[in-house]
Parts: sequence; C-alpha cells; structure tokens
Amino acid sequence: MVGLSEGEKHFIRGGIAQDLRTDGRRRLQFRAISVETGVIPQANGSARVRLGATEVIATVKAELGKPSILHPDKGKVSIFVDCSPTAAPMFEGRGSEEFSAELCVALQRCLLGGKSGAGAAIDLSSLIVVDGKVCWDLYIDGLVVSSDGNLLDALAAAIKVALSDTGIPKVNVSLSATTDEEPEVNVSDEEFLQFDTSSVPVIVTLTKVGKHYIVDATSEEESQMSSAVSVSVNRHGQIRGLTKRGGAGLDPSVIFDMISVAKHVSRQFISVLDSEILAAEAAE
Amino acid sequence: MEYVNPITGFRVDGRRPNEMRQLKGEVGVVARANGSALFEMGNTRVIAAVYGPREVQNKGQQVNSKDALVRCEYRMADFSTGDRRRKPKGDRRSTEISLVIRQTMEASILTHLMPRSQIDIFVQVLQADGGTRAACINAATLALADAGIPMRDIVTSCSAGYLCSTPLLDLNYIEDSAGGPDVTVGFLTKMDKVTLLQMDAKLPMDTFETVMDLAIEGCKAIANYIREVLLENTKRLECQRG
Repeated sequence: MVGLSEGEKHFIRGGIAQDLRTDGRRRLQFRAISVETGVIPQANGSARVRLGATEVIATVKAELGKPSILHPDKGKVSIFVDCSPTAAPMFEGRGSEEFSAELCVALQRCLLGGKSGAGAAIDLSSLIVVDGKVCWDLYIDGLVVSSDGNLLDALAAAIKVALSDTGIPKVNVSLSATTDEEPEVNVSDEEFLQFDTSSVPVIVTLTKVGKHYIVDATSEEESQMSSAVSVSVNRHGQIRGLTKRGGAGLDPSVIFDMISVAKHVSRQFISVLDSEILAAEAAE
Repeated sequence: MEYVNPITGFRVDGRRPNEMRQLKGEVGVVARANGSALFEMGNTRVIAAVYGPREVQNKGQQVNSKDALVRCEYRMADFSTGDRRRKPKGDRRSTEISLVIRQTMEASILTHLMPRSQIDIFVQVLQADGGTRAACINAATLALADAGIPMRDIVTSCSAGYLCSTPLLDLNYIEDSAGGPDVTVGFLTKMDKVTLLQMDAKLPMDTFETVMDLAIEGCKAIANYIREVLLENTKRLECQRG
C-alpha cells in the first residue's frame, strides 16, 4: 500500500530508534487531535475525530426494539465499521470488507465485553425500557473517511465522543393491565437522557518497529511494523480489552511492559480527549 | 399533502419554488487523496476523493491505450438515511449512480491528454436528503479540479421537479418522495451542453421544458458557486506560496 524506498525505510526506523520520528514527534507522543460533535444531525449522537491526516466519523442511532430472550433485562448494542474508498483506493468495492471486519471485532471486544455482556463499557441495563418487552437498540457506526494510520485508536475515540454526545429520547410507557399485550410506548421528542460515558475506554495502540514501540503510528510507520498491541483502557486505568496484530512474535515480558506504557499514555490521551469534548460541546 | 403553500407560495422547508438549498463547498478534505472535496446542498452532504492520474492498476479494464480510464464508485454511509439500514455493497442503485457519475465526468475530462493512465473517483454520501446524484456530481467536479485534472468545462448538476402545478428547483427528500417527476440535469456551463438528463414519472412536453430550464438555471448557479470556491482556494494557495 505504501511505496517506500530503502532509504526512506531506513530513515523511519532510525528515527524511531533515536526517539525522533519523521514528523518530529517522540515515540510516545500523539498527533494533534481535533474533535467535532453533532456532525450528523440525523443520528442521536455523532462525532468527527481528526488525528493528523486520519479522519473518522462515528454515529450512534437508537431504535426501539425487543430484548433478546437470554437477556430480558438488557438492551442491545451493535458496532459496525466501514472504510470508505475515499480513504484509500484499496477500499474500493469489497476491498474494505476484511479490514473493516478486523476493526469492527477489535472495537466490539473493547466496548461490548464478553458474550454474556459482562464487562461492557456501556451499561446495557440502562437501555431497558420495559423488562423483556421493549429496549433500546444502539447502532454504532464508524466510517473511515481519510486514513493515515492508527485507525483503531481514532475510531474508539470517535465512538467515545459520539456516545457522550448521544441523547436518548425519554420514553413514557403506559402499562396495560394484561401482561401479554404490547405496552404502549410514547417517545418524547423534547426530553433526552444523557449517557454515562465515564467508563467508555479509549484504545491505545503500541506499534513495534525494530526494538522500540510507538503510539499513533502513521501509515508509513505502520508499514514498517513487526507487530502491534492495542490496549483499551478506561478512566480508572483498568484494561478493558486487548488485541495483538501483526505476524511477529512478542516476548511475554515485552507485552507486560507495553501494557503498562499504554496505561500511562492513555491517562494523558483521556484528559486531552475530555478537554476536546468540552470545547466541542461549548462550540456547538 | 400540500407541497407548495397556496397562499404564500412557499415550500415545505420555507423555500421559494425557484430557490436552491444552501450550498457549501470545501476543497482538500481528504489529506492523502490527489484531490478531494466536500459538497453540501442543504442537508445532503457528500465527500468526493480523486486518486490519479496513475498507472492502470488492472490492465484488463483498459479499453484503449489512447485515453485515460475513468472509474467511479458511489457509496452511502449506513447512517446517511433517516432510518438506519445496512445495505449490501454494490447494490443496483449504487451501481447505476456510479455509472451515471462516471459517464458525466468522463464527458468533461480531457482523457486523451492522459493515455495509459487511470483516474479513480470515489464519492461517499454522509447524509442523504434528496438530490444525492446531483450533489455527487458537483463534489466530483470540485475534487477533479482540486486534483488538477484537465477538464473541458465545469460540469454541475441540479434536480428540479413539478408538484402542485409549480416547477420546483432542487428537491429535498420529502419533495423527492412525493411521487412527482424528478428531472436531474448535468450541464457544461461554458459550452452550453447537457451531459446528463434523467427523469422519472410523467410530465407534459411543454411543462418538461420549463422544468428542465429551471434545472439548467440551477446548474448555472452552482457552476458560479463552484468557480468562486475554486478561485478562493487558488488565492489561498497563492498566499501560502508567498
């Protein structure tokens, strides 16, 4: 995908070894992040996140649905990711499917917890309207508009911002006497409930190039990686999910080292994101 | 339903019959593309990105080696419509619109200047509120100009319809789904030529003429706006160069 000469490859690797990357950043430094909320008025919540030349949009749509039989006291959340061909010609046609699925599964792992819904970042029981009958179905859609590496971190950040922008309409239920009947639901279009997004994690991907690892790799740097570990960390420094990509093996001790670095970096990232969210909400 | 108020003559969104929605064009929104643009017509919002001219990637698609190969893909975001539905990629509607955009853009690109090369146009609909076809063509024109691809003229596109015995310019989604005719015109302004003409439903011949003329007027107005955007962008680039 990225055509680099031998000299350029050497330059990138050498820069990372000396803690001065090609764009002047240090190894554990993010690119400038910019956040915008409410970009898609048709959705319940939406956000655009720019990380250098990477640009992603995340939207949250809420629809009333029926809870599953296995979990009558919980709502449903699904995550989909699409890579637009505008980001790279290789995403044309069905070319993006594999890559989109990889991003999608990684995000599901970090945000939705296990199969039982345990450990989910979003409190699923807060989405229930009537036990066993009516619940909110949340559809989270991510769209990659422009890609310059580190898509997973950008998508996770965009989803976090979009969730904090989300307002779910208040529902008034008039309970009928018989339990078998479908309850009458009255969706308010004036009152909205905000979400508790304090436990939604961010993802920090550490990309290993040579002997060192870097955060927020550009696509040139990603082309030189041997492996990458994506750690999702919440505000309290708890690990919510972990994904390792890339073929090369990693020493277990290196992985533990990477996790602790990711935890450290995520603290700064969350505080930057928080202030960006506040600024975006103020601008709206 | 009343689409034009009989007393005031205003439409459902408060526009006059021959009034266009608010236009917004922005160049260079996708950093890594050769050319890119965002185009908004009211609530309809699309992004176009152009990659190329570059070497032909799939030699089998090359029809002749004297002209550039122009390709186009139209895609709608899952969240672009009011009710969220996941559509399979490459459904018939998208394929048809891709083809329409490709043919329209091909008519204005000077393909003979770029033999043995390929130009990819990708359009992504972020929000659909009627007139996506027209918005996509306008976005593609801006993106092609941003990529510096030689063109005969600026192609612009606009739709017009006929509801409540009134010709209406630039239909939004509500008016589009009202069941009346929808005429989409693609127009080369300087050369005064129509490159795209589509209509559904029926319309008397003489009314069709006024509706088409209205759409052409819309195209001309959009062309003026696109020129302004490009001029401003060029001025900005000149400033940056010093």
